[in-house]
Amino acid sequence: MRKLSRGAEATIYLTKIFGKEAVVKIRESKGYRVRVLDERIRYYRTRSEARTIFRAMAAGVPVPTLFGVARFSICMEKLEGVLLKDSRITPRQMRYAGAILSLLHNSNIVHGDFTPANLIAKGGKLHVIDFGLSESSNSYEDKAVDLLLMKRAVSGPLYKHFSDSYFSSSRSSKAVLARLSEIELRGRYRLRTLGPATPGKSSGNQRSQTPQRQG
Amino acid sequence: MLTLGLESSAHTFGAGIVDDGKVLANAKAMYDIGAGGMVPSKVAEFHALNAAGVIRDALDKAGITLRDLEGIGYTRGPGLGPCLQVAQLSARTLAHRLGLGVAMVNHCVAHIEIAKHASGLKDPIVLYVSGGNSQILKLAGKPFRHYRVIGETLDIGIGNMLDSLARKLCLNPAWGSTVAKTAEGGNYIELPYTVKGMDFSFTGLLTRAEELAAKMSPKDICFSVQETSFAMLCEALERALLLTNSKELCVCGGVAQSTRLRSMLTSLARENKARFGYVENEFNADNGAMVAFTAERMLLHGASTSPENCDIMQRYRAEEAAVF
Repeated sequence: MRKLSRGAEATIYLTKIFGKEAVVKIRESKGYRVRVLDERIRYYRTRSEARTIFRAMAAGVPVPTLFGVARFSICMEKLEGVLLKDSRITPRQMRYAGAILSLLHNSNIVHGDFTPANLIAKGGKLHVIDFGLSESSNSYEDKAVDLLLMKRAVSGPLYKHFSDSYFSSSRSSKAVLARLSEIELRGRYRLRTLGPATPGKSSGNQRSQTPQRQG
Repeated sequence: MLTLGLESSAHTFGAGIVDDGKVLANAKAMYDIGAGGMVPSKVAEFHALNAAGVIRDALDKAGITLRDLEGIGYTRGPGLGPCLQVAQLSARTLAHRLGLGVAMVNHCVAHIEIAKHASGLKDPIVLYVSGGNSQILKLAGKPFRHYRVIGETLDIGIGNMLDSLARKLCLNPAWGSTVAKTAEGGNYIELPYTVKGMDFSFTGLLTRAEELAAKMSPKDICFSVQETSFAMLCEALERALLLTNSKELCVCGGVAQSTRLRSMLTSLARENKARFGYVENEFNADNGAMVAFTAERMLLHGASTSPENCDIMQRYRAEEAAVF
């Protein structure tokens, strides 16, 4: 197995299964944690990730095919394609991404990191990867955070295509939209993530000088 | 530049004297929290009674008189309002009498700056952990040099969580170091673990631990709470290290005195091939020297305020303070 990349959560290896290229995502042990806690975290996250991938697939979301799941590792299809973040994103792709997220949310799956870094473009289609932070949830808050992450990651016009498509097919669009505006108004988020307020609106507010957080 | 720094954001009144980045004195008086914790008005009264004595003590240790001072700094925030007022008033009074400019110091920035200076790290990912704050920060340049918060607690600070647990378990004195002592030789019990990206949350963990207090031994609870909460910090920190591609790690603040936390961070740094640094405990606990150290730099860069314009900010975030 060849190491492809190492993240905080897991390491990705390249391998072959039945002659087909596959990736293995292994949640490795962390020396800083006591063993019981370490194994518990790695086991439950692996299991939950595999389940979510399966549920997403059942909901009709393009995801990598699962080949196998072990205690701390998942083996899945290697998708040939380009990461959306490494390519010129088109409005059509953003509408596609919006439709995918509404499919996920309608099945009560929140992705947790739904950004161009976790979307692979392949033959006119988009595939969602990395369900490592995903959860089963029907909370408007969690769903709104999924949207917020995309909003922070792409330009305004592109996000518009994304959100239009999302809200036209989402079952709870009103509540999610309301929650999204609420989150954006929270002090902590305004300070940390949304950068300069509209000039003139709060000119005396030093907070408005804080730069955007880069995802 | 002979600078006096005054700190009174929480339970400690501190007076430190720094000259050219060198600490000459670091005097302090700490309110005895006993088993009951802090009552802001009582702590403020304690500070007011001790201010003059601690400042005198610092001057004596440094072998100087008030007249020798060239600059003054105090903690503007974040902290408890009544407590912050004491250092602010002391600094204003002295500055007015001596005709000096005042530096309004951000408490978090002061903790970070002294730790960074002592550990010799240039641009580390900083874990700042104390009673009221738990944040992961990194220096950012625009629109002014400041510490950008890249991850933080979504509810209470980790020190606050440990103190609350200590009170619930009737430990005396009711704070983190007693929890650490009680935890020795404990066994691990399953507790809620909440990390969201680079943010974390401690209230669910605290509530569960408090529920278990009636059934389980304090030893096991303390051990498990420590292991769980510190592991949460480590996970968020590792994500921050990889995201920013940073190879330096620094810990500071009151909770940075924990030997268990430091050993976990040492292991984390080794696994990520990063350098790890921290400062002696004297400067991790709230102190005046860190304020003086930061104030000196501010004053040298012209970030001086006249005494009549000084104020306090209870919720003064690190991101709002310019760093020099």
